[in-house]
Amino acid sequence: MGTLDIGGSQLDATWFLLLSAVLFSLGAAGVLVRRNPLVILISIELMLNAGNLALVTFSRQLQNIEGQLFALMSMTVAAAEAVVGLAILVDIFRVRDAEDVDDLSQLKG
Amino acid sequence: MAIAVFFVAAAIAVIGGIGVVAFHQPIRSVLSLVLVMLALSVIFLLLSAQFVFAVQIIVYAGAVMVLFLFVITLLGPARELGRGRLRYQGGLSALFVLVMLGLMWALLQGVQYRQPEKTDMNFFGTVQSIAVGLFTTYLYPFELTSILLLVAAIGAIYLSRKRIDDL
Repeated sequence: MGTLDIGGSQLDATWFLLLSAVLFSLGAAGVLVRRNPLVILISIELMLNAGNLALVTFSRQLQNIEGQLFALMSMTVAAAEAVVGLAILVDIFRVRDAEDVDDLSQLKG
Repeated sequence: MAIAVFFVAAAIAVIGGIGVVAFHQPIRSVLSLVLVMLALSVIFLLLSAQFVFAVQIIVYAGAVMVLFLFVITLLGPARELGRGRLRYQGGLSALFVLVMLGLMWALLQGVQYRQPEKTDMNFFGTVQSIAVGLFTTYLYPFELTSILLLVAAIGAIYLSRKRIDDL
């Protein structure tokens, strides 16, 4: 039931989900390892993309359009997140250099 | 044929994902992420999600990534120098990620798929089928996302406004 017939070839839906898991893990590694706040935001985008891939895969497997609709919604959320995150980042950079998130331990502006 | 396309696109996506994490200059991370998104859009096309494919390229690889590039050019190049303040950050992160990947892999081994619905695959994933879902059953969430975008736009304008003491 997990095999997808794509243009006559048989592909397993599990492969797509495994790719999604690998990309999500890479994004999580980026969030944990990197210290530049911009790269952390980029890694979050990578994780959101991996989630979209899983949604679209399940949508195709169940032949139900709802997964794709949800992927579109999550793209909207990702765009909003990027906009607000980058605005906050630019605002912080105006006050001080924020090349390292460890430097941003003060709440006072 | 489709299998070859999948594996090539998957390899490009994983290489790009490694590049996002490994490159020291943010601009290279952003360009790697563009590579990942283009590879993923090919995979969306394989999964007969044509509209999501187009949106992925136009909105994601086009608009969102250009926003990131703008911010990088605005802030100037910043390299990560030296070691972080946290000890064992790299090792613990690698351990955590490997455990999470192992758990997800174990989860995928026992996954049981439901019987697919009988849908006309010539119609599936087209703009028409997306629009039918988006403007009938899911009209309410769709309108809510528009409010979310409005809130994000107002928030970004508020955060990047000119302060009085800057003048």
